[in-house]
Parts: sequence; C-alpha cells; structure tokens
Amino acid sequence: MTQVEQQQEENPLAVGLQLRRTPDPCAFVIFGASGDLTRRKLLPALYALAYRRLLPEQFAVVGAARTEETDEEFRARMEEAVKEHARDPFRQDVWDFLAGGMRYVATDFADDRGQDELAGVLNELDEQRGTRGNRVYYFAVPPTAIATLVGELGERRGSRGWTRLVIEKPFGRDLASARELNELLRPHFPEEEIFRIDHYLGKETVQNMLALRFANGIFEPIWNRQFIDHVQITVAESMGIEGRAGFYEQSGAIRDIFQNHLLQLVALTAMEPPIDFSSDQVRNEKVKVLRSLHTPGPKSIVRGQYGRGFVEGEEVPGYREEPRVEPDSLTETYVAAKLYVDNWRWADTPFYVRMGKRLPRRETAIAIQFKQAPHPPFEEAATEGLRPNVLVVHVQPDEGVSLSIGAKVPGAGMSIRSVHMDFLYGGAFRTGLPEAYERLILDAMLGDATLFTRTDEVEEQWSLVDAIVAAWKRDRPAFPNYAAGTWGPPSADELIHRDGRSWRRH
Amino acid sequence: MSTATSVGEIERELGALRDDASENANLRTSVMTHLAWVPAEWEEAAQQVLAGLAERHPSRTIVLFPRPEDADCFEAETALHCFPFGDRSVCAEVITIRLGGERSRHPASVVLPLLVADLPVFCRWRGRPPFDEVFDELVGVADRLIVDSTEWGDDLVPAYRELARCFAKTVVSDIAWARTERWRRMLAAAWPFEGRAIRVKGTRAQATLLAGWLASRLSHDVELEHEAADILTAVAVDGERIDAPPGEPPPPADLLSDELDRFTRDEIYEGAVRAAGGVDAPE
Repeated sequence: MTQVEQQQEENPLAVGLQLRRTPDPCAFVIFGASGDLTRRKLLPALYALAYRRLLPEQFAVVGAARTEETDEEFRARMEEAVKEHARDPFRQDVWDFLAGGMRYVATDFADDRGQDELAGVLNELDEQRGTRGNRVYYFAVPPTAIATLVGELGERRGSRGWTRLVIEKPFGRDLASARELNELLRPHFPEEEIFRIDHYLGKETVQNMLALRFANGIFEPIWNRQFIDHVQITVAESMGIEGRAGFYEQSGAIRDIFQNHLLQLVALTAMEPPIDFSSDQVRNEKVKVLRSLHTPGPKSIVRGQYGRGFVEGEEVPGYREEPRVEPDSLTETYVAAKLYVDNWRWADTPFYVRMGKRLPRRETAIAIQFKQAPHPPFEEAATEGLRPNVLVVHVQPDEGVSLSIGAKVPGAGMSIRSVHMDFLYGGAFRTGLPEAYERLILDAMLGDATLFTRTDEVEEQWSLVDAIVAAWKRDRPAFPNYAAGTWGPPSADELIHRDGRSWRRH
Repeated sequence: MSTATSVGEIERELGALRDDASENANLRTSVMTHLAWVPAEWEEAAQQVLAGLAERHPSRTIVLFPRPEDADCFEAETALHCFPFGDRSVCAEVITIRLGGERSRHPASVVLPLLVADLPVFCRWRGRPPFDEVFDELVGVADRLIVDSTEWGDDLVPAYRELARCFAKTVVSDIAWARTERWRRMLAAAWPFEGRAIRVKGTRAQATLLAGWLASRLSHDVELEHEAADILTAVAVDGERIDAPPGEPPPPADLLSDELDRFTRDEIYEGAVRAAGGVDAPE
C-alpha cells in the first residue's frame, strides 16, 4: 500500500483529494556549488519546486565548494541565479522560504576539516529546520572528486534518516573506472541510495516515448523488424564547446553524448514493454536492450571533428582553434554509427545514430522509418513525391510527434505526395513544460529511481564505448573533417548510403 | 469574423478560416469541444472567463446564447483565436450562436453537427439549470457537465436534489466544489475530529457543499452555520477554527481549466451533493 493510499484509508476526509507526493523533510547538499550547473539548473529547479509547493516544509540547501564564500554571499549569488534562469517570475516569499534554510561550506573535497564542518552544519539544520537526518547529496563535481567525497561521507554517515546520492554524468570514463567508482560506493551506499542522473530521462518528450509506445494500441503491433525499415536518432548541437575544453578534450562526443543520452534514447525506443512502471521493471528492460546491442565494426562507426565554418551566418573557429584545445587534438566532436539490437524484435533493423557539435541546428529527434507499401498500385510517376512513412519524436526543440503520410494531390489524375501530421506539445497542452532537473530532483527526494541509471546500465554503456574507442586507438584520423555548420563528415553519409538509405533531411 | 445563418454556412466559414490559418503556417489544435450555454444575464461574465480559457485548452468552443423570449432566429459568428507559439501560432475555433424563440428549445440539433469527432465534449452551463428537456438534451450530448452552484442563488437544496439525478447520466463538475478544495485539504489535515457542526464563512453553495461533504464522509448528520461572504474565508468544525490554506485562491479561468483536465467521476462530490440535497445514495 502506498503512503497516499494508507493515509486515505485511515482518514475519510482525505479520500478523493489528489494528494501530491511530497518528499520527507530533508537537506539538499550540492557539491560543486560554485559551478555553472548549480547556477543555471539546480537552483532554478529547486526554486520551481518551491514555487509549486512541491518541496517539504522542513527543507534546507547546503552549498559546498572550494571557493571561499559566506552564507550571505552564497545566498546573494543564488538569488541572482534564480532571477536570471528560473522559468517562473521571482516571488519574494518563495525565495525567502529557500534562502531561510540555505547555508554554504567552503571545503576542499579531500579536506577532513571541511567535511567535519559540513557534518556540523547538517546537524545544526536538523535541529533548526527539522530535516531529521535525511540527506540528498548532489555531486556536481568531476568523477575524481566523487571518489574522495564518497569515502568521507560514508565514514561520517549517521544512523538517523535516509541518504541519497545524486551523481552527475560522466559516471567514470570507461568500464574499468565506472566499476571502480561502483566498488567505492558499494561499501557505504547500497544501489537504492544511488541516483545516477542523465537529464535526458527527465525530459517530458523522452518520457512521452514510453506513453506513445505503451499507451497507444496502434504503434506497438508495428514496432518491430517486420514493419520498420530502420531507426534514425539525431542529437545535434549548434554550439561549440563553450569554453569547456578541459572537460571536452577528455571526453569527446562519445563520452559526452553517446555513452549516456544517445544510448538511453536507443534503449527507450527498442525496449520491450515493462510489466509495470516500477523503477526496476523499466530498467530491467532497458538493460536487456543495452546487452543486446551489437558492437559496431570499424566500418559502422564514423568520427569527426569540426573545422572553421559558419553557424547561423557567423564565422566560428574550428575545434583545434578553441582556447585550451591542443592544436593537433584528436578528440572527436561528431560520431555517427550503425547499431544493431540483436533480439527477436529488431534483428537486422539498423539504428543509425549521429551526434555532434557545431551542426547546423540544435535538434534531438528519434525517427522511425517504416517500410514502403509492398505493392503501390500506382504508376511510378504518381509516387515520385512519396517518401516512406516516418514517425518522428521531436525531443527538442519543437517538442512533439509528427507522422508523414502519403496523400493524393488534388486534381485530375493520380499524384501522391508526402505530407506531415504534427502534434506539438505546446500546442495541445498549453502549460510550460517542466525542466528535466525539476522532475529528477523531486524523484530523487522521493526515492523513485525509475528515471535514473542503474549500475548494470552504466556498465553496459561503457563496455560498448570501450569497444568503439579501442578500435580508434589504432588509427590517426585526418581531422578536422567537417566544417562547422554542416551535417558532419562525408564519411557519415557514406555510412548510410552504403545501405541504400540516407539521413533525414532537415 | 462573419455571420452565418445555418450549420452549413458555419461549416463553410470554418473551412475558409482553416485555409487562412494554414496559409500562415498556423497550427490548428483541438483537445475537446467546449460547449457553453449562456443565458442573457451571464453573457458578460462568460466572455471574460472564455478569453482566459481558450489559450490553455485549444478547443472548438461553441458558445450558445439562448434567447427564448426573442423571435425565432439563428445567427452564428465564427472566428479563429490564435495564440503565439514559437514562430507559429496555435489557433482554436470559436463559434458563437444566438438562438431565438423556438430554436433555443432544441440546442442539440444545432450542436451535434458541429462537434469535433472523437474528442470529449464538455458543457459549461452558466447559471442555475432549469433541469428541463432543453437541459437534458444538451447534457445528453456532453461527456461532462460543468456548473458553478455559486451562481444558483440561496435555495440550493432542491437544486442539488435535481442535480443528483444527473449523476447516473453524466459526469458533473462544480466550480463551487473546486473552490472548496484548498479548505478540504486543511480539514483533512485537521482530522480526527467528531465533526457534528461546521461553521463556514463563504458562499451559500460552498457552505452547503462542505457540510454535505462532512456528512457523507463521516456518515452522520452535520449541523451547518453559514455566514455569507463572496469568497471562502473561514471554517470551524465543532467550534474549532481550521487553519486557512496557504496562498491565494485560484482565478475562475484556472478553476474551469482544471475541471477540463478531469475526465473521471468525482464520487466524493456526488456524495456531498446527495447529502446536501437530502437524497439517499444509490444502492
């Protein structure tokens, strides 16, 4: 019986009231609180939750970072961040609620004294704010810092309340380091306390993939190799690396996007229907897809790096010209691959995926291309303008779903053209879509791990990446191989043209 | 905007409006057909609420202005209401129809050909329904009836008794009931209490519904003491004051909009109305 059902059974007046799930009282600790993520995403998300009264009354936020800062300075900086980045108007009473329980601890993560101070502040907040020993630790820090922190937190772990760790990507940089990190966590924190975040899973349109597939009777019967010719998944960014050379030189597109966001989209598209929407059932099905992903051979994978070019009419530098990037860097900013999911449903159905920076536009979309009608009874000339049916799930921007169908051009004779039927989220549901972080932070506080990545998922993701990267070590690509503002290197086109197919036109 | 004098003309007008919209790369979206039955005295209030509503629930809205005292007439205006959405617009159709004389007695025949196929139909009835054949006819084509019993004056008990009759035929929402929700949460939070008497400062409808709700949930009679006020501002149970809910009460367009998001029967509301109307629950 859920908490809500129990409450309703005991209280006749609670029946029928839509009781919102509100998290238990807790303290929300952000490691890496001086960083961009805290300012742009985490605080605005906490503010949005407070604005909608979704946070518990007894709540506290503790920022922890290396920068020396007082509580007041931290609060002032966070207030600015909320004013600048929140999706709701600034309301003093909402801010006062958040700021009332907001503290800052300056600490080097390896520093015992800092950790003791943090533990002291949290104990104080338990007394002052009634947070009852419940903690969410949000790690907005590099993986190297996580290892140190986890040990420190584990040793200081009290017996009161629950603890949840939210860990930002990247979770490791290969299978070995991900396993090492899991080994470090395991003695102190069981799997159900660990929430590995992939913010793509918090996006409404990504979750809509599950609604589209499993709430509609018409799609699932044709969602297989018999009816689907192939799947194309695009994660395109028009931005460059935005000054994050230190991070990007180490990760490249394969670790930044492919390992996490892209493989999640593949898993959601290909997974079998779960028995229910509990976190383990959904994740069991996703892991099965990741396990059945066929490691692509070298011919089925293309990497690229952008050179100088034009984006939105403006000249932009090549990757190697970006500040703090090695002039002979071999880091890939683009990856395209042909993947196969080796199971009964998908055998021989290619999943073409591509992701990159400095592409002509920002777009994330999953396109399901269906097979041609088996025997169109029309003359060839009549169907010149007809393309196969494509169902596109637009993840961002223009969140929605579109289906292309063939329709007769009005007039004498028979001429058939492809037309689009569009469903736009914002058009049908005129409410602002919540930011992915709002949903995920709330779920972590509620202990619901459905939209977070489990150990075995992460390990499967890395083993695929390791296999791809191992092949790359053996050759030296001629970078740059695509101009900024174009759809990637010519070899990516060749990859799909070899199969008699082509990338979707944009 | 242009005037039509038959359903056929309305359909042609809609077609022309759609063509204009697609030329401008606009989106036409409907999630429901929204009927509004607006007697003369509610015309002004209805316009205000509708203005805030169409943007949130893109729907085909059919506003019916019945004027039974007028001479026989049928005058319709069609318009496209568009709202910016990115670099495009979302457009919803609004059809306003004046029905004079005998024509106002048979609204379903006007409405049926204009419903958007396969989508739910919500009927907002302004003012106190007469619970007559016209009412039955229009409710018969709707999936959900939305009323606001605050608009029904003081003699509520017989009206609730009549309304309870409709529960077997259609799903009913009451905006007066929706307005009590914030207070019902506070009352639920304050439980356990015996709940033999309730004092309410608010509208007559809110007070009657809250007392009916307590009586139906606690399965015993509840004595009501009512102090008239335009909005619900104070509730006490068994002489104990209940804490006021936090925040401001939502505006009318929000309340109506929330009701349009609901699709299932509200059995708790039905219980409250039966208790308020002194009707026994069905076996």
